[in-house]
Amino acid sequence: MNSNSSVLSARELVKDYGSGAALVRAVRDVTLDVASGESVAIVGPSGCGKSTLLYLLGGLERPTAGTLQLAGVQLERLPEAGLARLRRHALGFVFQAFHLVDELTALENVELPALLAGASPHNARVRAVELLARVGLADRVGHLPSALSGGQRQRVAIARALVNEPAVVLADEPTGNLDGAATTDVLRLFEQLHADGQTLVVVTHDERIAATADRLITMRDGEFMDEARLTGGSARSLGAMTGLEG
Amino acid sequence: MAKLLELPSREPLHGYQLRVVQEVLLALLARDASHGYELRARLTLALGPLAVALNEGQVYVTLGRLEKSGLVSSRRVGQVDRRDRRVYELTPAGRERVVAWLEDTSWPKPAPAEFHLKLVAAATAGLADPVGIVDRQRHELLSGLREAQRAALAEAEGSVAGLLLEGVVLRLQADLRWLEACAGYWSQARGRS
Amino acid sequence: MRVAGRLLFVCRLVRGDIKRRRVQSVLLLAMIATTTTTLTLALALHWVTDSPFARTRAATKGPDVAGLFEPGFHGNVGTYQQFVALRRASGVLASSGPYPIASLELSARGHLVRVHAEGRDRQSAAVDQPLLTAGSWAAPGGVVIERGFADALGVHVGDPILLNGRQLAVRGIALTSAVPTSDPLIWVTRSALLASADKSRPLWYALNLKLSDPASVPAFTNAHNGGPNTAWFLESSQGIRADDSATISEEQQLLQVGSALLAMIAVAGIAVLVGGRMAEQTRRVGLLKAVGATPRLVAMVLLAENLLLAIAATIVGVVVGRLIAPALTSPGNSLLGSAGSPALTLTTVALAAALALAVAAAATILPALRGARTSTITALNDPARPPQRRPRLTALSARLPVPLLLAVRLAARRPRRMLLSIASMAIAVATVIATLAQSHATVLGVQIAGNILAASRHNSVDHVANVLSVILLVIAAINLLFATWASVMDAQRPTALARALGATPRQITAGLAGAQLGPALIAAVLGIPIGLVMYIAADGNEATAHLPILWPLAAIPITLIAVAALTAIPARIGAHRPIAEVLRSE
Repeated sequence: MNSNSSVLSARELVKDYGSGAALVRAVRDVTLDVASGESVAIVGPSGCGKSTLLYLLGGLERPTAGTLQLAGVQLERLPEAGLARLRRHALGFVFQAFHLVDELTALENVELPALLAGASPHNARVRAVELLARVGLADRVGHLPSALSGGQRQRVAIARALVNEPAVVLADEPTGNLDGAATTDVLRLFEQLHADGQTLVVVTHDERIAATADRLITMRDGEFMDEARLTGGSARSLGAMTGLEG
Repeated sequence: MAKLLELPSREPLHGYQLRVVQEVLLALLARDASHGYELRARLTLALGPLAVALNEGQVYVTLGRLEKSGLVSSRRVGQVDRRDRRVYELTPAGRERVVAWLEDTSWPKPAPAEFHLKLVAAATAGLADPVGIVDRQRHELLSGLREAQRAALAEAEGSVAGLLLEGVVLRLQADLRWLEACAGYWSQARGRS
Repeated sequence: MRVAGRLLFVCRLVRGDIKRRRVQSVLLLAMIATTTTTLTLALALHWVTDSPFARTRAATKGPDVAGLFEPGFHGNVGTYQQFVALRRASGVLASSGPYPIASLELSARGHLVRVHAEGRDRQSAAVDQPLLTAGSWAAPGGVVIERGFADALGVHVGDPILLNGRQLAVRGIALTSAVPTSDPLIWVTRSALLASADKSRPLWYALNLKLSDPASVPAFTNAHNGGPNTAWFLESSQGIRADDSATISEEQQLLQVGSALLAMIAVAGIAVLVGGRMAEQTRRVGLLKAVGATPRLVAMVLLAENLLLAIAATIVGVVVGRLIAPALTSPGNSLLGSAGSPALTLTTVALAAALALAVAAAATILPALRGARTSTITALNDPARPPQRRPRLTALSARLPVPLLLAVRLAARRPRRMLLSIASMAIAVATVIATLAQSHATVLGVQIAGNILAASRHNSVDHVANVLSVILLVIAAINLLFATWASVMDAQRPTALARALGATPRQITAGLAGAQLGPALIAAVLGIPIGLVMYIAADGNEATAHLPILWPLAAIPITLIAVAALTAIPARIGAHRPIAEVLRSE
């Protein structure tokens, strides 16, 4: 893949924890290119290093080795402040634990990244309202996180991730803390985002989320084992799975 | 030379036969008599997008069988004697059958044995890598999941067909989980050998 | 065996916990130690009594009654022989003198002072034996100077002086507990005195008596003090003490005030300490309960850990307090009481230990009670009291640049802690201002009064006030560090989140440090008038005449700079922790 057209480009990323006898290699020589508008799902059992990989991709952790390019900028050379500035416009993060600020309303939570990026309070607010409407929470803008269900909280988090129009949205187990119905809501949202052309990288062990992606990468023990491009099945094969058979 | 084991064909040539289509039709007649085409319409509604898998003449063939078994009775309406135009009605025997079916709690059995043995055989005979087999099957199921999920999301809130699709999705998810476990086991076994 | 098992369990948990959070444990230790030191000092200062005086008296064989034969001063009734005969009056156990006395002019180091010179050839006497603290006794060509006076003048052994124009040298410096007049005291040889005295006036004489029954002193002085025209005057040691106690009581007052201030800062520190620990302790209680520990076991674990820290802190606090206390407890330079004075008694140590244990208990009981009251799940999931929502502040902060936005929102999270910080800083600022105002007035006062001894009294008060200020500042600084660090810990998640969302480490540092600047400003603004009030209260009328207005205002920028510098350290550390670590630990 031509690195010019990729939004995110990682080469031989390595992340080690600990040292000596207690050394753990969480990520081994991972190479990944994500093109603009692509949606990538990384699946694997717990402990396989997929969350660590995501944090590396987002510059929240420094790799032990390897290079990383995001929106045309090489990350290894950037100091912490530079990474923070890059994150403002290049990345949107969705966490498993939502990480909303408890004492702020949904609206205030969503506008926070805009304020941190230097937007005027007015613009930040307008954008936040727009995004909350987009995720279907227009009637909950003034609610505190404690007054929202898990699914609603995650939707607020997704709106927050989108407020600065990021190049890539990185999601770490977005449905990990959600039940079935809430998962469906988030699923719907991700499909919509993908349809709107947002580049997505999702780490998950939920097959339903994985199935929404264009590319599905399986990770095991810190390395990429398998990659697949999912093609849609037909209604006939669907029928076989329904129990409609003779 | 040993005779090759003939595996039943997985894809019937002309659509799918609904295994329980007999019971369903009887149940649909329980309240009042209906025309043949009405029955077909109601069945289609319940199946949603999956109804396209249903064979054209399936319903009418089954109705004929049911009549022969004495579970339903039919009469001709109007001049044309076509199956879809006839009015069908439950007989007492048919009603008993419906009640028995509704009270029956038997559940379609999950059947992991075949795939499991496939993997064991591949490993033992050294013919193929079990992990590869698992991965291919996973792709297949994931594609199916993708399709079912798309269809489920496209359904309106509260649609009965959406419920069916949710069932498909969840079953596939369960199967995929097991496949993940298989992959884990067989890749470790490969590492050990 | 169950007891042993439980003990092992407790020990393992405690050791593991302390090892895991080394920095926190050390900081905690420092904090409790500071509190203990503070209270140790407070107690020591509170109990400074006139025991130094008693000690000096014993060491110098202080007289019960001092007599002064001063014909022409009050009157002329009575002869010298009658005066000397008092040595053999009934009730007198021992005596020394009569020593000739004269009022002479002493010039040393540019100062010209009128002194009270006593002619004494030998140091030793049965009563009133001056204690040499440097050099040797008066000999031809040399004088001995009283210690308080020597300090005020700034003279040392060997320095040249002029006595009524005659060139002499300082041969020694001594302490005495018999100072009948307000003119400073020196000793010279008899011959030198007789030579220097004003020949036109009669010589005066001093007599020192020790009575067999000290309680009969008032009766004795009443009986032998003649009417108002008597040529002599007898003064009891209580009278002497009254003179010096003026000095002591001023300092003692100051020390008592100081001890109160220290206690207040200590309380503020404790409150921050206990409050800061509450959240995590509640969580631990929840965890232990979830694991199946009985309430008793839970309490044991908490108590054990906190007790360990408290005991270590007590030891540190008492030791440090003992080292610092002497710097303060040297009231009245004329009296013994500085070198290695244990103003610390066993009672003090015991009280300090009790305080440390009380802190440990508070840090244990409150969360244990809380944990016992709340359900296990609540304790696990929601350990910290969530900060209150402040919509107006949030809306206001949105208009500010990022560091200020963060500072305002972070400060508003824990208003109680903010109040405690303000209190602690305000006390420190107030004390410094009062001290500076005091020494400023002292300089003026000396220039006006020209009285060396009064100046020396002021100096000694100054000295105490200065040391007190330094101690308060240091303690306030430690309180501030701990409060900042507690805020940093408390704000881990929001700051890590802010960084993930695009705030740079510098913005976070500025926000965390800035959250302390608001309280610092308030503290400085409050501290200035409080300090001035303290100064007025201490010095009375003279103070209002020279009330300083301009330079105390400098306290505001100075406090802000100092606070910013101090809090920048823990803030910076907090702003550079790896983001993923914090965000992932949920």
